[in-house]
Amino acid sequence: MRGRGVPWVSYLVVAVGAVLTMVPFLDMVMTSFKGPGEAGTLPYRFLPSAFDLSNYRAAISQLNLPLLFRNSVVVTAAITCSVLLTSSLAGYALAKLRFPGRDFVFRLVLATMMFPPFLFFVPHFLILVHWPLAGGNDALGRGGAGLTTGIAALAVPFLVNGFGVFLTRQFMLSIPDEVLEAARIDGAGEFALWWRVVLPQTRPVLLTLGLLTFVDAWNEYIWALLISTANPSVMTLPVGIQLLQDHLDPTRTTPVIMSALVLSTLPVLLLFLLLQKHYIRGVMTSGLK
Amino acid sequence: MVSTLVPERAGPERAGPERAGRERRARPVSGAADGPPRTRRRRTVVAYLFLSPVLLFFAVFLVLPLGFAVLLSLSHWSGFALSGIEPVGLDNFAALFAAGSTFLVPVLTNTLLFALGTVALALGGSVLVASCIERLRFQGLWRTLYFLPIVTTVVAVGNVWKYMYEPGGLVNGVLNAAGAGSVAFLADPDTALPSVVVVQAWASLGSAILVLTAGLKSIPESYYEAASLDGAGQATVFWRITLPLLRPSLLFVCVTQFLTGLQSFALITVMTKGGPGDATNVAALEMYRRAFSYGDWGTASAAAFVLFVVVLLVTLAQLWVFRRKGEEA
Repeated sequence: MRGRGVPWVSYLVVAVGAVLTMVPFLDMVMTSFKGPGEAGTLPYRFLPSAFDLSNYRAAISQLNLPLLFRNSVVVTAAITCSVLLTSSLAGYALAKLRFPGRDFVFRLVLATMMFPPFLFFVPHFLILVHWPLAGGNDALGRGGAGLTTGIAALAVPFLVNGFGVFLTRQFMLSIPDEVLEAARIDGAGEFALWWRVVLPQTRPVLLTLGLLTFVDAWNEYIWALLISTANPSVMTLPVGIQLLQDHLDPTRTTPVIMSALVLSTLPVLLLFLLLQKHYIRGVMTSGLK
Repeated sequence: MVSTLVPERAGPERAGPERAGRERRARPVSGAADGPPRTRRRRTVVAYLFLSPVLLFFAVFLVLPLGFAVLLSLSHWSGFALSGIEPVGLDNFAALFAAGSTFLVPVLTNTLLFALGTVALALGGSVLVASCIERLRFQGLWRTLYFLPIVTTVVAVGNVWKYMYEPGGLVNGVLNAAGAGSVAFLADPDTALPSVVVVQAWASLGSAILVLTAGLKSIPESYYEAASLDGAGQATVFWRITLPLLRPSLLFVCVTQFLTGLQSFALITVMTKGGPGDATNVAALEMYRRAFSYGDWGTASAAAFVLFVVVLLVTLAQLWVFRRKGEEA
């Protein structure tokens, strides 16, 4: 079956599929260069009449892209750092320390992965609105907007990730106990041990988890939409671009929106292309286990 | 030798009383649970310190919200003072399924069709592509291409496809060039849901291919060699060896894609906002709207739990089916 001449049919199938996969991206890029009257008009033309950057300039000025970018970076960085830190701390305890209740806590972590995110939109929002002593609220959580007005609200529900704890724990199981014992014999405390011995050995899985988290956080849309419709100053890229799409005349702005989308997609695409081995390893191991 | 090393292991700050504990321990260190009671107690404290951020977060953002959601699903609430929560029993659930409610039809049926359509397309496509990629060179390059939609924000995916579906967009451009008439993909209630399904499947093909690739690579080459010695054709090999041995990966793809399909509404929010009418409205979007557009927290929470039950049942059913098939084989 394998290695019998050139597999033409396979080439054909894979190539056609690849074209279908790439075409929307190419159409996005092509449309981002189209001038007035070129996009959305009949007959359809794939290529723009000229490649100039006027739509990109318009996107940057009309959309306040620098602010959106900054917000996206802040939120994504906070979520990624927090997930990596909390996962590697908890993962270490669950993999390498013995203490009463460990199996229970591990089962709890597994159980958290069972609850789908849509269950939490409403209660998370209400909990943040009624957060005591924040955003004008009294001690019983009444009177103000709580935590929903700040940029922190965008990150808070995603700061810990049960899957992240699970992934780091599974990886840390493979660190030999002898290495840890040797460090303990040398007088290292558990925190020093975690920082100097465990974390360096965990680097591959942290890179993978960091990438998965980064991409998810950068692309997150629904929660960000909920929080920032009330407060445009904390808007992230997806929300800001969608808002322009919803509120401006579509025939005139489609190319502008496409150029904004190209700009907002590029950082993640580049990161993925550079580090895809680690990203794909994460998807694969989580798929196999 | 180990026992002489024990005191140093716990650090120089350990004082006299600990030594008695050390003396008592004759057996070697087999694990961290061994050791004098104080060391054990310290280990426990340290372990829970490591776990504290995660446990605290789960208490506030998992257990509390779940309890709150259960309470809300059984109450009427205007959304202001917490004291205004009025228990109403199962009224919210009754309202969802009352005659004239759109929740069961078309919202829940749309949800199932959306998930089913996505799984069918993504599974079929990914089995085909993954098994073809296996025979080619530059496998990594191909998989990277197929994976790009997954790392792209739903706002980009949704808007690009929405634009491609327009009368002056790429899809109708191709149809017109082929001599066919234009189709109002997203504006026509009959074609809106299938059109969105295609996009969701397109976006999830890459991860399915990855998982199936891993599955394909784990099938021992010797099986294929034995089959070719027996003179089995490509089709026989695929149906009798590849597919059965791929079952765990297929199950994983099936379950995860179905779950994603049942829950996801970001793409629909971007592309159609549930329209036209309720043609692409799905349960999660309906929940979102009831809560944040109408402030109806009660039925929104009830809808969330109904969807949760559907998600659980579908997952269990799939696990059961695959397990039964596994026993027969």
